[in-house]
Amino acid sequence: MNAPPLLSVEHLTKTFPGVRALSNVSLALKSGEVLAVIGENGAGKSTLMKILAGVQTADSGRIMIDGQPVRLENARAAIAAGIVLIHQELNLCDNLNVGQNIFLGREPQKFGFVKSREINFRSQAYLQRVGLNVSARSIVSSLTIGKQQMVEIAKALSVDAKILIFDEPTSSLSASESESLFRLIDDLRRQGVGIIYISHRLGEVRRLADRVLVLRDGENAGELGRHEITHDRMVSLMVGREIAQLYGRTEHPIGPTVLEVDSLVTTTWPQQSVSLQVRAGEIVGIAGLVGSGRTELLQTLFGITPALSGSIRIAGQAMENMSPVTAVKCGLALVPEDRKQHGLLTDFSIRHNVGLAKLSHNRWAGIFANFSKQKTETGEMIRRLGIKTPSDRQLAKFLSGGNQQKVVLGKWLALSPKILLLDEPTRGIDVGAKQEIYRLIEQLAAQSMAILFVSSELEEIMGLADRVLVMQEGRIAGELLRADFTEESILQMATTK
Amino acid sequence: MTENLTGLIKIFGITLLLVLLWVLLSIYTPSTFLASNNIENLMRRTALYGVLGIGVAFVIISSGIDLSIGSLVCLSACLLGSFLQVDYVATGTTDVWNFKADAKTLVISDQSGYQVGDHVWYEKDRRNRTLLEIKGISPNEKTAGQSVLFVSGDLTRDQQSADGQPVAKISKAYSVTSVADLAVVFEIGFPNLNPRDKISFVHPTASNREKVVDRLDPSGSVILTDAAAGIDESFYAVPILRLPRMSIPLAIVSVLGIALTLGFVHGLLITRLNLQPFVVTLCGLMIYRGLSRWLTNDQTVGFIEYQDSLGKIGTGRWELWPAGDGVESFGIPYSFFIFLLLTLLAMVLLNLTVWGRHLLAVGRNVEATRYSGIDTNRIIWLTYIICAGLAGLGGMMFAIDSNSIAPSAFGNFFELYAIAAAVLGGCSLRGGAGSILGVVVGTALMQTLYNAIILLKIPDELEFTIIGAVILFGVISDELLHRTAAAFKSSRSAATPN
Repeated sequence: MNAPPLLSVEHLTKTFPGVRALSNVSLALKSGEVLAVIGENGAGKSTLMKILAGVQTADSGRIMIDGQPVRLENARAAIAAGIVLIHQELNLCDNLNVGQNIFLGREPQKFGFVKSREINFRSQAYLQRVGLNVSARSIVSSLTIGKQQMVEIAKALSVDAKILIFDEPTSSLSASESESLFRLIDDLRRQGVGIIYISHRLGEVRRLADRVLVLRDGENAGELGRHEITHDRMVSLMVGREIAQLYGRTEHPIGPTVLEVDSLVTTTWPQQSVSLQVRAGEIVGIAGLVGSGRTELLQTLFGITPALSGSIRIAGQAMENMSPVTAVKCGLALVPEDRKQHGLLTDFSIRHNVGLAKLSHNRWAGIFANFSKQKTETGEMIRRLGIKTPSDRQLAKFLSGGNQQKVVLGKWLALSPKILLLDEPTRGIDVGAKQEIYRLIEQLAAQSMAILFVSSELEEIMGLADRVLVMQEGRIAGELLRADFTEESILQMATTK
Repeated sequence: MTENLTGLIKIFGITLLLVLLWVLLSIYTPSTFLASNNIENLMRRTALYGVLGIGVAFVIISSGIDLSIGSLVCLSACLLGSFLQVDYVATGTTDVWNFKADAKTLVISDQSGYQVGDHVWYEKDRRNRTLLEIKGISPNEKTAGQSVLFVSGDLTRDQQSADGQPVAKISKAYSVTSVADLAVVFEIGFPNLNPRDKISFVHPTASNREKVVDRLDPSGSVILTDAAAGIDESFYAVPILRLPRMSIPLAIVSVLGIALTLGFVHGLLITRLNLQPFVVTLCGLMIYRGLSRWLTNDQTVGFIEYQDSLGKIGTGRWELWPAGDGVESFGIPYSFFIFLLLTLLAMVLLNLTVWGRHLLAVGRNVEATRYSGIDTNRIIWLTYIICAGLAGLGGMMFAIDSNSIAPSAFGNFFELYAIAAAVLGGCSLRGGAGSILGVVVGTALMQTLYNAIILLKIPDELEFTIIGAVILFGVISDELLHRTAAAFKSSRSAATPN
């Protein structure tokens, strides 16, 4: 007789008023197994995970652990049942130390006083288990994102989690941090922990998963066993069609140099300087590890943080005292990494987001806003970018990641910038929308816009860029032309000194 | 209308509450609540507090706060009082540089107008005045440009100018030539005298008496009402001119200028030095209060001199219908018109201008707005200037209205009234949301509550308790409404695929 699976989910259905988020979804997870759950945004992955973590409850269906039906009415019940969700955005109090975070809410205490020594002692054991070599007394904010994630996993182990759910765990990790996460997941698998792994990055899925569950429109779209997991199979199950070519590369003529950066020194890497040039119609990718100064470079170019020294020339004209206001005036545009904090006003409508940067130009009698022009222009932008929305009055926060990114792009395209800076342009965006954004970038380059983008996905850099600059610890460690792109050469430049 | 829906519902909710309160008060206390002067009063109070509310609404929408409003109201009132203060100066005064009481001589600035036999009014300060007669004049040999007067009369102490400052003043006293019941006629006319100036009647031995000039004869002889009783030919008179320190428009513009400058400084500290608005304006609250008390020596400031000019703006009204049989006269206070005009301007500024749009964006997410190439500092800066400017204007309106400003208490808690009205009217302290109309309704609601407390004879110790409870109720129901709306919207947006 087979032992019952560690976790089994049967015929789960969840309906929100007006929409069926999950319909008859089933899955089984054995202990010591990594099950990857993939699907486009809106396919129901996050609803499924929220139900398993007790954040939402299902309308119908059963959840069983070790063959016993369980009711996961709230997050506490889920943790008690041994299910812990590791969020995409980490849930740590970064002003506290590692031990305090691991035992947050469950502090061993005596007469109301916290027994710090016991916390530190016991934390050390969990830290060892996740292979994290830091003191339990270190303040969380002093750790890198990768190490913070390890702390979160240690915290999960401290409550005897049998099932760990990872939601896009590598989205803010560098390549080497991701690799150590994968090794840890391998370890946990050997220790008999059941792991559900959600990711947009199919390479990781291929690397880790024993099985892949594909969701599409809230339903089981298919399951792939260990040997069936290929990039193309996954993509075709996810989108329901074959994607011949994700990056529809077209030839775009390359014009004169529009952006010239000479010995620019940023505040995060005061010892290093960066020089680069981007020409009209050229797509330049910046690769490198997280923390190598790529985001800071873009932010300094855009005037968000002041440069310590160095010069920036736009179309031959030297820029002084760069601020976002002057940057926009000179034809720069930045699509920031943190869409919700920096890119969008999430509580505002599409119209106001798309019209935000252009509004200063759309005025009459000097001070009054020209709302009707804003409305027509937004309508044009929605059509041009294919933003899927019932109305331009829709609030940005209710859009999917891909459509949100299109809104951010629309805000800038309304101004027809000369130089477009993109920071992780497809982070957290599903395959279909990714493809549209790649096409758009190609189009813009063909219209002789200069494009400088940062990406942590090598596949994206290699698919999109004409030229790659590889950054390492605040400087440009190397440059590759399209003909010389290989994953190995880029990684080597990013890591070896 | 996904975006404006919650805002509209919010205003609708508190408007409903306001109307409900009005209906209840009309039913329970019809004779007092619906009385003309009660309604006029309610309008006037709403107007005065509303001006402050509109100002702070802009700051709150930018997700800042201004705690200095109450003190700024007081400072503006005190400054207005001080700028408009009236000094009384005898006509044709001459400086006295020193005098010798024994020898009965005065050394004065050279003044050829005096003749032997003239009477002069010697004025050291308001309490030390005497009438002297000039017995002789000669030039001062020690100092050119000065004369020595030999006088008869009562000089008591020797005194000399210590540091080049005159020690006293003298001016010519005119003999009163004839006295009727209602008029006093002088031997010569006073072309520079105006109605509401004063005349001091002096007798060589008896006490002084001051009378206000009521009317002037075209020929220049002065006519006073009820001034002559008891005055006979042995009296002399000194015309005393009113000397306002500033004209009314100049005083108003100066106060506004000072208030705007203070707002500019608030904005400077908040945007350039990145100080927290709470701290900056809290310091303002304390500094301006202290300044007000120091400036006025902690004395009550009033505008008695301006009852016919400024006072009319404060208490005047545009009468809609006069009193008739069984009908009370009713009019709209002038201050209410000022308030309406400001409301209109503020609505245009917030809703129709580029600046207003950017302000909403800044209040909601200052980083995303900055990343969109918008000068966020300039936008935030202006909100503090507007707020302080309206506090200055409101302060002057309050000052004229109350006509009695105690610098230690005037304007206390006004910032909290203004903030409460703005919050009640739908401004979120998290920023990025709010409407001017809501602030108007919120102010009206607070003033109606205050009115209700008085009319229903609720112990006024409970005033704050009741207003606080209503605001809390408003905020709680608003939050619940917000959640319901959010749940409704998310379900709707989920219905539309991506």
